[in-house]
Amino acid sequence: MTNEATSTVMTEVACPMCGHACDDLSVDTAGASLAVVAKGCERARSSFARLSTVGDSALPRIDGKPVSLDAACAEAARVLGAATLPVFGGMALDVGGARAAMELADQAGGVIDHMNNEFGWRASRVVQDGGGINTTLAEVRNRADLILLVGTDAVSAQPRFFERCVWVGETMFDLAPASRRIVYLGGGLDTAPGVSPDGRQPDVFEFDLMRMPEALSVLNALMAKQPVTGEAPLGIALARWQELVDALFAAKYSVVVWAGPAFDAAQLDLNVGAVVSLVRKLNVTTRCNSLPLAGNDGDLSMGAVHTWQTGYPMRTSYASGAPKFDPVHNGITRLLQTGEADALVWLNSLADHVAPPACGVPTVVIAPPSQKLDGEPHVFIPVATPGIHHSGHFVRTDKVVTLPLRALRATSLPAAETVAMSIAAKLREVRT
Amino acid sequence: MSLIKLSGGRVIDPANGVNDQVRDIWVRDGYIVAAPDGNEKVTAEYNISGRIVMSGAIDMHTHIGGGKVNIAREMLPEDHRGDTVERTELTRSSCGHAAPGTLAAGYRYAEMGYTACFEPAVLPINARQAHMEMGDTPMVDTGGYVMLGSDDFLLRMLAANEDQQAINDYVAWTLNATQTVGVKVVNPGAISAFKFNQRKLDLDEENAYYGVTPRRILQVLSRAVHELGVPKPLHVHASNLGVPGNVGTTLGTMDAAEGLPIHLTHIQFHSYGTEGDRKFSSEAARIAEAINRQKNVTADVGQILFGQTVTASGDNMVQYRNADHGSPKKSVIMDIECDAGCGVVPFKYKDQNFVNALQWAIGLEIFLMVDDPWRVFLTTDHPNGAPFTTYPHLIKLLMDRSYRNAMLDTINPEARAMSNLGSLDREYSLYEIATMTRAAPAKLIGLADRGHLAPGAAADIVVYRENADPERMFEKPELVFKDGELVVRDGRIVKVVRGNIHAVKPEFDIGIEKKIQPYFERYHSVRMSNFKISNDELCECGGGTKLIPHACKKRG
Repeated sequence: MTNEATSTVMTEVACPMCGHACDDLSVDTAGASLAVVAKGCERARSSFARLSTVGDSALPRIDGKPVSLDAACAEAARVLGAATLPVFGGMALDVGGARAAMELADQAGGVIDHMNNEFGWRASRVVQDGGGINTTLAEVRNRADLILLVGTDAVSAQPRFFERCVWVGETMFDLAPASRRIVYLGGGLDTAPGVSPDGRQPDVFEFDLMRMPEALSVLNALMAKQPVTGEAPLGIALARWQELVDALFAAKYSVVVWAGPAFDAAQLDLNVGAVVSLVRKLNVTTRCNSLPLAGNDGDLSMGAVHTWQTGYPMRTSYASGAPKFDPVHNGITRLLQTGEADALVWLNSLADHVAPPACGVPTVVIAPPSQKLDGEPHVFIPVATPGIHHSGHFVRTDKVVTLPLRALRATSLPAAETVAMSIAAKLREVRT
Repeated sequence: MSLIKLSGGRVIDPANGVNDQVRDIWVRDGYIVAAPDGNEKVTAEYNISGRIVMSGAIDMHTHIGGGKVNIAREMLPEDHRGDTVERTELTRSSCGHAAPGTLAAGYRYAEMGYTACFEPAVLPINARQAHMEMGDTPMVDTGGYVMLGSDDFLLRMLAANEDQQAINDYVAWTLNATQTVGVKVVNPGAISAFKFNQRKLDLDEENAYYGVTPRRILQVLSRAVHELGVPKPLHVHASNLGVPGNVGTTLGTMDAAEGLPIHLTHIQFHSYGTEGDRKFSSEAARIAEAINRQKNVTADVGQILFGQTVTASGDNMVQYRNADHGSPKKSVIMDIECDAGCGVVPFKYKDQNFVNALQWAIGLEIFLMVDDPWRVFLTTDHPNGAPFTTYPHLIKLLMDRSYRNAMLDTINPEARAMSNLGSLDREYSLYEIATMTRAAPAKLIGLADRGHLAPGAAADIVVYRENADPERMFEKPELVFKDGELVVRDGRIVKVVRGNIHAVKPEFDIGIEKKIQPYFERYHSVRMSNFKISNDELCECGGGTKLIPHACKKRG
């Protein structure tokens, strides 16, 4: 037990480095970089270390030359003021950053599109077409007796999923955690975390992930007592598929886990729609819920704020002065490729690993100093990271829980929201 | 220092017994003050002679923030398309009809003369998000009722027969940790029961796992709220919502409070009988009679109005059951964090549909048959019965009998034949409307400085041009002041402000955390320290909102 009053170790720290948002980390603040000393995962350890040390003294740049923050914000405002359709990408932000980004994008008449949103908007479209039946992490932890992982091993997206939700010490109800049944649908997954603490192997339905629509069709057909062609769909004996269907009907509280980026993007609607259909069938007689894994890079934080402030999800254009939602038209990759977009703002505070696209339009990058870049942007403004340098809020995978992020070390870098609001204020001046 | 004078208005202020008296109102630094002595400089004067003056309206039950509301927004782009709010020099762009963005909601409420809105279903684990959404709802004060009753912590306490004092400590701890102003129970115990695959739960039926009945939950929670001195009575979404014949459950729910204060919300949905060929009938008369007789009971109506809307509720058991009736047919149902649940189902109420038409009539019957406007509240359970923007129309239905009867003549004739609405002569007065939309909700929630116009009140003031058509009058006030600042003129925003957030601070034995902390560590997905919202964090969640804490005086 550490004594927080005297120790340099902060406990019960929430981590924004993936959508799981574990909040049990212990972080030592004494060294040159922040050290995750208890709980956490490799991604947390490396991200806290890297983002806490890089370029604390980094300066804003225009065309590679150091300038003041004020000058950089003024130039960013000039770029936005001159643009007809500026687009905002990256968007790995917490709630505070997202709020400021909304203010700026509305005023600039632009479009916001998170870098993970090629999957996000398709998942949203399934909700808009049919809805779903979903659950959250604590319910999984305490109730799930059968967990079906569809095309994902969970841990690639959220490393501590099994540690925190599956192989836990105890549950609240009459369910021994080690007795849970784990089933993977799809090949090439890391199934080792699915081995139970007493050594029981998970069931793995091995097939090419591109054939997921077929696999889900087999399950849905068997559930509806419809004929399925062949003795071994996808090379797996029909009897195994039937046994899985029977087990799902017999389970008291099964959970179907999926993750958008694990699917081929073009198949995402189809696969998620099939999952929803399967879950709905099971709920006629028993309980079954989906658990989408999302939230990485703050995609749900940005998405939640966008939706609650204006009503629409991302890929909404503010160019006309009123929100116009068109997720097919307003993908910023498409807008940049077709030349409809004439400025790019790449805005991140939580992530640095995806470079802004080379697009030939004036580009403003507002990001941690360690932001990956394929070339020098017109304007670069280094910013701090919430949960490391300043407080903030982060929306977790289930869209229900928002975790508070803490300030663990001082920095001279501004917060992304400070920069965005400063640019918005200057844009107002440019426009009037 | 600012000193504002509103001269010569006709003041309607039921909290102070003032009915249409010509008075000047003075405002200094955001508060109403007595006429100043001497020669203090007046910074602004508004001549409002002939105008009607009321305090800012208070919506005591409106789903404006939190996870299920955001699901509704995401789910319904078709709801937003025809209903956009354009960006102006002052205001941001937003959109939405039944499930508007927070910005649109705040602007529209203010433009209708509302200055405070209370979100009635704050899931404890989702409280942070609810506060962030309410913080992004400009113009109005906000507050939330925290949902208990299907949370496993409470059900475990009841199964273990823990004493009332421990339950009081847990309830008070939750109110503090979630920064809320009241306690709500939704289909008591049934959200938990649904997770154990129960599909209905009557008032005296046991939760399959815990063996706890809804009646017991109502007893302990109404007592906890009362003994803690929380002004707002327990807010109850009763069992069997929408079920024909649920009147018995509703009357039983009133009895379960055993004489302690209890508020039954959207009671229209709980006032149904099984008479007639369709086995669906109005029991508004019995419900109204019970409210009139039992002075411990208050209710809001949850009036339905015809058109497209969306139902968003914590009651996942009922929403799952009703999902097939959705229009368009889509729904999101959730189990949430051993804490609660939710269900979102779009719905279109049709005037030629027998059930919908009778629901419409039942709501109005309740309004007209409950005698005391201090104990019945004007709500549509936004957006479940209709969007809040229909309030001026609803007010007209209450104030204008001939208009109401003309509407009645157009609805499904079988429903009309089953309703006594046509025989109800009552027409609400402006004084009664002011009571049920201002004075009474402020009193019920315990907002001493809101809902009235006497010196000491916050200067949330609305000035109306009188109009023979109440709908026209209430949809577009001439002036709205929020905390003393002019924010709306002729129904348009002239200044964007941030409202305050109200939260109660009942006392409790901090020793309860010795039980709660290990519970979080053993079973939960977050730690207790990260569950609790401090005062400072609350203001950050609200984007800089000011907290107005309300102390509670223990009772009993």
